[in-house]
Amino acid sequence: MPSLPLADLEAQVGDTHRTVEGFAVERGKVAEFARAIDDPDDVYLDEQAAREAGYEAIPAPPTFARTSFFPRYRPDGIDHNLGFELGFDRARVVHGQQRYEYERPLYVGDTLTGDTTLTEVYQRDGRGGGTMTFAVLRTDFTDESGSHVLSDYNTRIETGQAIEGEGE
Amino acid sequence: MTDEFAVGDTFERVSEDVSREDFVRYAGASGDFNPIHYDEPHAQEAGYPSVFGQGMFTAGVASALVRETFGLAGLREYDTRFVAQVWPGDTLTTTLEVTAVEDVETGTRVEADLAVTTDGGERVVEGRAVAVV
Repeated sequence: MPSLPLADLEAQVGDTHRTVEGFAVERGKVAEFARAIDDPDDVYLDEQAAREAGYEAIPAPPTFARTSFFPRYRPDGIDHNLGFELGFDRARVVHGQQRYEYERPLYVGDTLTGDTTLTEVYQRDGRGGGTMTFAVLRTDFTDESGSHVLSDYNTRIETGQAIEGEGE
Repeated sequence: MTDEFAVGDTFERVSEDVSREDFVRYAGASGDFNPIHYDEPHAQEAGYPSVFGQGMFTAGVASALVRETFGLAGLREYDTRFVAQVWPGDTLTTTLEVTAVEDVETGTRVEADLAVTTDGGERVVEGRAVAVV
């Protein structure tokens, strides 16, 4: 169970914090990320190949927004809790699900801002006993013109017992 | 409407023999430095037989098939649930199966179920992708 009552978590549902600033989609980082996910395709590495494939610039892979986790893109006072007080025991927190909704691809040259909203909090009985607490954090990324580019839905789970999933 | 995709079409891509080096490379590229993915003593103290891959590493590996199949320009949704760990030495097979094809104003909307399975037969990621092609 979190160190805070569920009601304290529920009271934060709907709150929004600025969590990403100056998230520049850099050519070298895109190439590095593409290689790290075993997808070093030409469209990620070469501007001419990207344009020939119909993109306006080198696109970033679908999960590239994860790199906004680097501390250099976090406003002061924002850490992995993204401005919320969930009271989760970090040693028991797993990344349960990740979903993205896109308006368009991210492109090299974009600079994005992210605002994170706690959209949902709930509890369930865990398979191995204990209570699992779920928190869904939606980060909306906008570009320099203020247009929405993508939404990132991150589901974190505080497990009741030993971790059986993906550490967050 | 394009007839490029039909319900039941399946696509596959394999990443062979993922390693600790791959997890470290993903940590460096993504900024996810949870030591459970690269620090063997830390992982064993936490009760695991060894380090294991970031869920987002596998989600990234699986996204390669989504890009290959649908491209990125019309990608609308990409969803991954992390249901089991990926261990060093696993070979990962990603599959996409088209579940719906629908004519829409801007093209053809295609929905597909996604799964990533290890060579040991364990399903590690389940999800879906939606694209307008």
